[in-house]
Amino acid sequence: MASEKIIEVQNITINFEGKIALSSLSFSVKKGERVALIGPSGAGKTTLLNTIATFIKPSDGQLVIDQVDSSELNDRKKLARKIGMIRQQFDLVHQLPVVHNVLAGKLGQWGFFKSLWSLIFPQEKAIAIRALERVGLKDKLYEKTANLSGGEQQRVALARLLVQSPEIILADEPVASLDPARAEDVLSMLTKLVMEENQTLITSLHSVEYAKKYFTRIIALRDGAVFFDLPVDEIQAEDLASLYQLKEHM
Amino acid sequence: MGKSIFQLHKKSFLTVVLVGVFVWSLFAVNWNGDLLHSGGFVTLGQMLGALFTPDLSSEILLLALKSTWITVSYAVAGMMLAIIIAFFLGILASGIFFQNRILKAIFRGILGFLRAIHELVWAWLFVASFGLSPYAAVFALALPFGGILGRIFADMLADVPEEPIQALKSTGASRWQLFFYGYFPNVRTGILSYTMYRFECGIRSSAIMSFVGLGGLGYQIQLSLNDLHYHEVWTFIFFLIAVVVLIDWWSSHLRSKLNHTTKHWFIPFSSLLTLVLLIGAWSYIYVVDKASFLELFSEKNVAYAKKFFSGMFGVGEENPAFFNWESWKTALSLTYDTLRMSVMAIGFATIVMFLTVLPAARNVANGKLTLTSRWYQWISFGIIRLSYIFSRAIPELVWAMAIIFILKPGILPGALALALHNFGILGKLCAEVVEDLDARPIRHLASAGASKAQILLYGVLPSVLPQFLTYILYRWEVIMRTTIIVGFVGAGGLGQQFKLSMSFFHYTDITLLLLCYLILVWISDYISEWARKTARY
Repeated sequence: MASEKIIEVQNITINFEGKIALSSLSFSVKKGERVALIGPSGAGKTTLLNTIATFIKPSDGQLVIDQVDSSELNDRKKLARKIGMIRQQFDLVHQLPVVHNVLAGKLGQWGFFKSLWSLIFPQEKAIAIRALERVGLKDKLYEKTANLSGGEQQRVALARLLVQSPEIILADEPVASLDPARAEDVLSMLTKLVMEENQTLITSLHSVEYAKKYFTRIIALRDGAVFFDLPVDEIQAEDLASLYQLKEHM
Repeated sequence: MGKSIFQLHKKSFLTVVLVGVFVWSLFAVNWNGDLLHSGGFVTLGQMLGALFTPDLSSEILLLALKSTWITVSYAVAGMMLAIIIAFFLGILASGIFFQNRILKAIFRGILGFLRAIHELVWAWLFVASFGLSPYAAVFALALPFGGILGRIFADMLADVPEEPIQALKSTGASRWQLFFYGYFPNVRTGILSYTMYRFECGIRSSAIMSFVGLGGLGYQIQLSLNDLHYHEVWTFIFFLIAVVVLIDWWSSHLRSKLNHTTKHWFIPFSSLLTLVLLIGAWSYIYVVDKASFLELFSEKNVAYAKKFFSGMFGVGEENPAFFNWESWKTALSLTYDTLRMSVMAIGFATIVMFLTVLPAARNVANGKLTLTSRWYQWISFGIIRLSYIFSRAIPELVWAMAIIFILKPGILPGALALALHNFGILGKLCAEVVEDLDARPIRHLASAGASKAQILLYGVLPSVLPQFLTYILYRWEVIMRTTIIVGFVGAGGLGQQFKLSMSFFHYTDITLLLLCYLILVWISDYISEWARKTARY
């Protein structure tokens, strides 16, 4: 089971207004892998994540999620059980108390009236409390989200992912706006939770150091194509140096 | 933990209280009673029918053009004086020139008093003291608008960051140099855009000056209404809407050009246009209207004014109303009615706003916010936006004049007139809040599998409600000041009594009613400040 392919990207090409953002990209990810996407700005990391999340339809190529072709994944509610996303902390509704932002992970399963009622009397509160406990924010249950620090907000987003509990987690620069200490804190928590839940994780990152420390595999993108795709322990310093080399020198 | 639960529900409590207050206000009307005039529906039908067939004869068009010019020139002249008042009082009230707190409070108090009294009440007082002169309209506009602008100027100046000012001070700059090199450049754009917005309001206010007998668009609307010539009424209203829309366009265009880095021809063009309008307005008032400024202080006028004001203070009066318990009782019960009228008005306006605000937001219409788009969304967007323009371009007083033909006098027509004018303003302001919404959390909810209704509940509403509440309370304060105006045409409350007392020359009654009115305005400012604070934390 461990070798089951959960994501298969086959020759995917994305064009934005005539410009090629991703060119004929292919790779597959096995269940339980922790993949770091690295590469210079504009290499197509975010585009790739948005494509896997099915926000962007590929111009060409095929995407298979857990044996199902992406063109057949139209039901957002079902998709939410498969794929969850986390970005910089701008994803939270700042005016809501923490508990509702955490329970938002359940919206895909709740009906309208339950969600309405929950705004007054939080439903399935125990799940929210447990999730917040695991990210170390149990005492912030009723705090207004805007009052939390950046690192704390990102941990709330993690708690929401725990509640949503998808099989695949896509993280787009989850620590980009945090200082190094907070960034390590959030990343180690994210990878720890992913391992505990046996989820699959793909994260785009700017820091090679973090990528090596917390992930099992690194896919490097450059100009919309795979530059290298290696297990963490096989990466050489030269690979990284040429990845980030400025174009003028080539 | 108990405190946390309270924290979570504090806003729910506030909501329940506000809804409760609205329901309480509804009891001010006897709903089973006879609310409609006999034939009220027929009149309504005729009025609406005339909407599509305005009178476009050259005679009426010429008259409308002339009246529009009168309305615009009073507004321009009034705004000029208002800016002068606001400039000096605003600086003094901001405390940037001297730190004396008592002086600051005094000037803030003066500004507060100027704006507490509605321009039409000022107009009436001026007309009563020195007759039907254009200056009555100009001054009546200048005082309350000066008060409002001055308050905003003062707030903006007080909010200027300290650092650049300190740096200038260290170069040995004098107070005025500090002002022109430090403070003014900081607040210039803000002041300009707010003044433009006020100018738009000034046009509407100038139009209703007619009610006390001064010329302009409102005067023609009133005459045509009284003659039941609804086709002409709409012609004049369309002219008024056109002016308001033009100024709105001018203001938003100018603001967007000012934010550009490069100079645009529109900026010098706007300055030139302003100059032309100023010269045109003052020369019209001085040359064509032959309104002599010095004549205002002729012996005759001074005697009138003296009589009027000594009458108001009860000089030589046996039993002035403000010392009479019976008069107080009547006045207080009217005050109570007026309060309920204002709450009912903002309640109606809020309900309509909530029903229409989402389709009226551009980012909902094009489907970007909710990730769904339908062909009919642009049509409903257009219709609702058009109704907003209609609603806010027509002053409360004109709405009231029309409604009085359909409904019997009382609290309800007043509340309806106020609501009709305010839902458009509220809708426009709130739709802009939705348009400025951060789309990232919303899209994330969509990707977490939330349905459209769930996105509304968890993403849109929590983000926009605090801002909505601020606007609703702010409009309620404005409505409070305007309740007295709709009363003038028989829509109930303090205003109706005010008009009666004016007609019977019961001057001390007027003083008493003005006193109650000021108390009401003061209370509403206080309550809305409290509600805003509760909502913020």
